[in-house]
Amino acid sequence: MNNRDQRSAAQTLMHEMQLDEGDLERRKKAVGLAAADLPRIAAIKDLVVQGADDYTATFFDHLGSLEEGRSFTASKALVDKARQLKRDHLLAMVSGQYGLSYVEQRLELATLYANAGLQPRAFLGAFHLLITRIGADIIRRFERSPLEGFDNFVSLRKVAFFDIGIIVDVLVFERERIIRQQHEAIRELSTPVLQIRDRLLLIPIIGVIDTHRARLVTEGLLRSIRSNRAKVVVMDVTGVATIDSKVANHLLQTVTAARLMGAHVIVTGLSSEVAQSLVALGIELTKVNTVGDLQGGLEEAEQILGHRTQKDGRVASAGREE
Amino acid sequence: MVVPILKQGDVLIASMQAALSDQDLVHFRDELADRVGRFRTRGVVIDVTALDVLDSFATRTLRAIVSIAKLRGANTVVVGIQPEVAFAMVQLGLNFEGVATALDLEEGLDLLASLSTRSGDRGR
Repeated sequence: MNNRDQRSAAQTLMHEMQLDEGDLERRKKAVGLAAADLPRIAAIKDLVVQGADDYTATFFDHLGSLEEGRSFTASKALVDKARQLKRDHLLAMVSGQYGLSYVEQRLELATLYANAGLQPRAFLGAFHLLITRIGADIIRRFERSPLEGFDNFVSLRKVAFFDIGIIVDVLVFERERIIRQQHEAIRELSTPVLQIRDRLLLIPIIGVIDTHRARLVTEGLLRSIRSNRAKVVVMDVTGVATIDSKVANHLLQTVTAARLMGAHVIVTGLSSEVAQSLVALGIELTKVNTVGDLQGGLEEAEQILGHRTQKDGRVASAGREE
Repeated sequence: MVVPILKQGDVLIASMQAALSDQDLVHFRDELADRVGRFRTRGVVIDVTALDVLDSFATRTLRAIVSIAKLRGANTVVVGIQPEVAFAMVQLGLNFEGVATALDLEEGLDLLASLSTRSGDRGR
């Protein structure tokens, strides 16, 4: 069951990383793995198969001796699983079949490494040692024809580098996955559209606006205008440190799009630096209704909506007089 | 595809139901221009809620309708532009200046009412 789960996880990963036949061909080309290598690998097949247990042990012993590998080797269940996969890997390496199912096995092992937080440098070191051990054995066997032995070893090494390419890609991909998720979370958090009162929306924008985010802001706002039946929108840009021509253009687009939906947009919180840089850049925001601060913007919005705005003090004093 | 034009008091309500060909649009424009005068209309509401695209020709035609109706004495409000449509129009840089817009039919009628009171005040 567990095995099947991992298998399908590897398949999903393969899909996410867009590893397909074409990609594999490119990868093989990158390391120079060609048809001519297959008989050479076949010539050392028995040697690797015989020593598979030995080589696997070399790999994990080395990992265990490294500071970086200790977190990985600490879990026995994990290591046993990895040992099994590694042994399979060695056998597969000399099988002469380097297609999609081979890559799927690589992904399975690589995912195991990635989840255990194995450092690429520790993996690379251990794998290098393993390959060197195999190389030494090959040279010993081909003592009489060292050139042939070397050729065979080089062919095997191409497969090794083919594998390294995949495994390092997985490690990087998994690391970036976290970055991608956080990126997504930040984006979702950063563009709330708040209803302040009937038909009045507030959209505070904080941080850096890039093209993608501007698009999200605009789409979110337009949808909210529709669902909340908003008539006035106050867009507060106090939290936007810099506004360049691109950002200004985005703001303008948002304002225009909202107007097409019958909503009036008030932009508030343009700081003095931002205002000065806009003027210096010669960006015209005259079509946009801008108000100094959020408070002013809300007051203006309520006026448009037909609410009467009174100063707090006057209301309070009127109450006392009565 | 003919766009139905309904008369409600002194307001004409036209609801575009499906994407119209350029020819349909021209026909719609002519029809509306004719009716605005015939019924002594003070306002026109064009509902585009059902449209998921407004191209440059449609935009231009709507602008033309607004100008024509104005010349014939009626204010026009375009209502129900979908969020996606609004966004696409802005990105394509389609010019919709001078066209009053509102969220939906109800808002559009409100807007027309306020527009005609204002012009009524001016007339007095």
